[in-house]
Amino acid sequence: MGKRKVGALEKVDADLANLQYKVRRDPPSYRDDFQNQYNQYETFRELFLQNPSTTDGNGLVSFRDLIDFIAHCADAYPTITAQFPEDLQQILSLHHEDLQYELRDKIVGSLVLLRNKDVIDSSTLLNTLFPILVTTPSKSLRALLFTKILSDLRTSNSKATNHKLNRTIQKVLYNLVTSDRESPKGLWAVKLTRELWKRQIWTDSSAVEIMKEASLSENEKVITGGVRFFLGGDKEREEAADESSDGDDDIDMDKVRHQFGINKKSKKNQRDLKKAAATVKRKEKKKKAPHPLNFSALHLLHDPQGFAESLFSKHVQNSKSKLALESKLVVLQLVSRLVGLHKLTVISLYSYFLKYLNPRQASVTSFLACLAQATHDLVPGDVLEPLIQKIANEFVSEAAASEVAAAGLNSIREICARQPGAMSGTLLQDLVMYRKSKDKGVMMAARGLLSLFREAAPELLNKRDRGKDATISLITGTFHERRFGEQAAGGIEGIELLEQWKEEERRKKRIEAGLDPDAPTDEEDIARAEAEDWKNWDVESDDSDDSGGWINVESDGEDIVISDSEDEKDKPPAKKAKLASEAPTEGTEEKENSTSKSASMYPEIRHVSKLATTRILTPADLAKLQELRTTTSISSHLHSKRRPPPIASRHTDDPVTAAEIEAPGLLGIKKTKAEKIAMAKSDNKEGHQSTTAIRKSKKEAEGKSTTNKEKSRKKNFLMTLGKAKGKQKRSLTEVKRTLKGHQERKKRGGKRGNKGM
Amino acid sequence: MTNSTKKKKEKKKDFQKPKLKVGKAKPKAANFTDTSFKAKSIVLTQQSLSANAPTVAAQCAHHLSLLTHRADTQRKESLAYLTTAIANNPPGNPLPQPSSIVLPGVQRLILDGSNGVRHQLLKLLHSLPAGDIASHSDQLLLHTRAGMTHLASEIRLFSLDVLEWLLKVAGDEVVSCAGGWVKMLKCFLSLLGWQNEASGKWSATKSFGKAGGDAKVQVKQMNTLSLFLKTGLVPSETSISTSTGTSTFPLWQTEHHMPSERSNAYAHLNLFGAARDEEAEMYEDREDRQRVFHERAESAIITGLEQATKAGGELGRAAAQLRRVLKEGMADYHGEDNMPM
Repeated sequence: MGKRKVGALEKVDADLANLQYKVRRDPPSYRDDFQNQYNQYETFRELFLQNPSTTDGNGLVSFRDLIDFIAHCADAYPTITAQFPEDLQQILSLHHEDLQYELRDKIVGSLVLLRNKDVIDSSTLLNTLFPILVTTPSKSLRALLFTKILSDLRTSNSKATNHKLNRTIQKVLYNLVTSDRESPKGLWAVKLTRELWKRQIWTDSSAVEIMKEASLSENEKVITGGVRFFLGGDKEREEAADESSDGDDDIDMDKVRHQFGINKKSKKNQRDLKKAAATVKRKEKKKKAPHPLNFSALHLLHDPQGFAESLFSKHVQNSKSKLALESKLVVLQLVSRLVGLHKLTVISLYSYFLKYLNPRQASVTSFLACLAQATHDLVPGDVLEPLIQKIANEFVSEAAASEVAAAGLNSIREICARQPGAMSGTLLQDLVMYRKSKDKGVMMAARGLLSLFREAAPELLNKRDRGKDATISLITGTFHERRFGEQAAGGIEGIELLEQWKEEERRKKRIEAGLDPDAPTDEEDIARAEAEDWKNWDVESDDSDDSGGWINVESDGEDIVISDSEDEKDKPPAKKAKLASEAPTEGTEEKENSTSKSASMYPEIRHVSKLATTRILTPADLAKLQELRTTTSISSHLHSKRRPPPIASRHTDDPVTAAEIEAPGLLGIKKTKAEKIAMAKSDNKEGHQSTTAIRKSKKEAEGKSTTNKEKSRKKNFLMTLGKAKGKQKRSLTEVKRTLKGHQERKKRGGKRGNKGM
Repeated sequence: MTNSTKKKKEKKKDFQKPKLKVGKAKPKAANFTDTSFKAKSIVLTQQSLSANAPTVAAQCAHHLSLLTHRADTQRKESLAYLTTAIANNPPGNPLPQPSSIVLPGVQRLILDGSNGVRHQLLKLLHSLPAGDIASHSDQLLLHTRAGMTHLASEIRLFSLDVLEWLLKVAGDEVVSCAGGWVKMLKCFLSLLGWQNEASGKWSATKSFGKAGGDAKVQVKQMNTLSLFLKTGLVPSETSISTSTGTSTFPLWQTEHHMPSERSNAYAHLNLFGAARDEEAEMYEDREDRQRVFHERAESAIITGLEQATKAGGELGRAAAQLRRVLKEGMADYHGEDNMPM
């Protein structure tokens, strides 16, 4: 019903907003009036409880307005309104189903308001709202409650983490998920946890535990919710963090200050200026703050092995599970991701794949991606060999479509990149032949496989396919084949660089002192060096000899060796240096002829720097280490044309997706014109812009107007006429002078002679 | 016929108009479905036999539903219709709509914003037969109390009128129903500004809005209060007469053994409702009421009365009347209190 027209007399009388305003200003003197209103509220409440579904819109003042009024003034009269929050809670929890929706929303809002005024605490509020969220059939109420719960959790965690509240809520959610595994109610726990995870309010393992239980539940929606959290929750969190950091508009402090100088000076303007300065300062501070250490959900799992096994046996392998293929695939993705990431052993997983590896299977590329993901270097090659054989038989043949063959080859490559031992020589030699295929996709996939094995296990390839580098390394014996289960010794990244640098420093000093630079270091020497280190404990005191923050980049990269494993002195000349700088080699294939060779080379190749174990690294050392690391990374980028990037440069945390498997298959397909246009349009959301337009907007963004070129182009031609005319009528000497001047300027490098150097 | 003409003809066939002929039935469409049926007898479940429909009862029901109409005049007119319909009802006949239906629909209007509607409502209430009110007194009292605590002073004043009527019609039920005694007393105290907490302060706070500080209004309030107290505290003659009537000689206290005449006779046991506190409790005995009154309200009223007497004039007269009622009502209670136990 519409709003009643309120007469002037009533306006004066029945104006709760006016009374509220006065109460706020001076609570003690309006106590009686408030008491009257509270009595009114109580009688209304009694009336309401007689018949909760009534609409009381007809009266001058509705129950709703009274609740609103009292909620706003409750903090001023704590004794009178002691019962009020409880009343509201009771009404809401008993009658939320048949309440009129406006009243219902008002009660929810009032409870939140009471929480914000600290009349009730967060846990009472959440304990009231959450059960209703789970049980109510009303969609709008659910949406309202969800936002309210979320915002309350956010505000109570905004200043400092409210561990107590978080723990109770997490317990409630956990119980919700575990108490009834078949009900879809757990979805609310999933939603809430995911949202809080995204906002980095919950980052601990108990939130992950809730999601773990959710993905082990029996309801399909809850399962997929939980599983999708593990697969995408962390990425979502990162994106949200990125957005919040650079999302808001930047304040140009100079501009604001300038405007303040020009505009009328008012207190408001001054306040705005101060506020702007404060925000800029806060942003700076935020930028400089150390990155919060957040573990991904997959790493926070308590028992990944148990989790993966129960997920697999419950939802994937179990013939009684009624999951749709899509959700089954999602679960499978999670299982394989866990297996790959934590290097778990779920042997039955691999034989499970065998059934699904044929080109007619729906979304087979996802299965292939899962298989590749589930492979790691602790999976026995014998388990994987039949799978690879099957992929090769089913996918890679002349009869198969080119996309199918490309996808098959690519998936084989992905598997072998993780466990090269799964490949047999004859099969590999067959597969490598496809690099002569006419289809581009198949060719590229086969080439990928070839280049992988050139690095991983060249002895499996035909001699002519091995390539120069691999052949050389096999002959010289520098090739190190990784055996099954072998782990590379870990260390501090770039520690050998530091060691090398220290050695050089020592030599320099000895030369200065007039001693033999190559003499073996005696203990006294070491002790002296160490004492020096302790003196230069801090970073600041140490940068006397290095060039103050500048990074030296070598003009030519030929001499630089970006060795991450080898010591300088063990280096054989030129040729070998190149090999060593290639990506770390791995390979586990047991092959008789090479094992003997590589075994003999073994001890001298892996020389682990002992610096970190024998000396205490000072902060100055660590700073130097960081500097050396950046230098090498920059110089390695400079020469990227000559050296191919290492194949396994992808982070181990990143998943293998179906799109990656499909990628080479799409290479051979030519695009239609419409598709090309669509792609060109899609990459730039604002639409296509001409180069000049882009340049102009760039200039404007820098705060500059036009380029000189533009100015000359736009110049009125009458102004240019005189000069053009004069040019033709010049005397010979004048021409000579200008030509000479031009020559000179060229030598100098422009009018101002900015050749420099 | 060539193939193409055949096709053309076939295509045309779909869009040909049926030819209509004069004097012949319209040809049926191709998808016509016959919906006629045969039956041995046709029975109508409801049948109006009155020549001049709709009846008064139906119209009353309609007007009852119009009481929630948003226009003031419409509500008022509906109330007026109901009033005349009830008033014109010949004695002995049942009402066009029973009071148990009229009252719940009407009682919300005590809080109505429009003056005309409220006055019409009072007329309607007066026209209702007195015997029907008693069983609805608690509901009516709730609404009245809501009116008495209302923010608008007009509604506060009006609800006093309603209360007077209610006390006249069903006084005993009003003072003895759940929350009817203590809550009403509290309500009166806040209305008169004689609250216990406020009286301790050195300056009386002026009430918000156009409050009942007006002497005339206060007189009315005090009159109503004295009526209320009289009903609650002073023993009525009728009850005395029944207790003294011992005509049924061999039987003693028959009226206690008879089934109760009231509906919901065991309401005081509160078997199904929410637990009540002291305020919401039912006080059915006069002694109970006296005790609670003494504990909660008496001192506040006496201090208030002193101030009112000082004001003199009409206010003083009302105060004197109230004082008389108070004395009369609490006479035996004080005697009890003073007795050595």
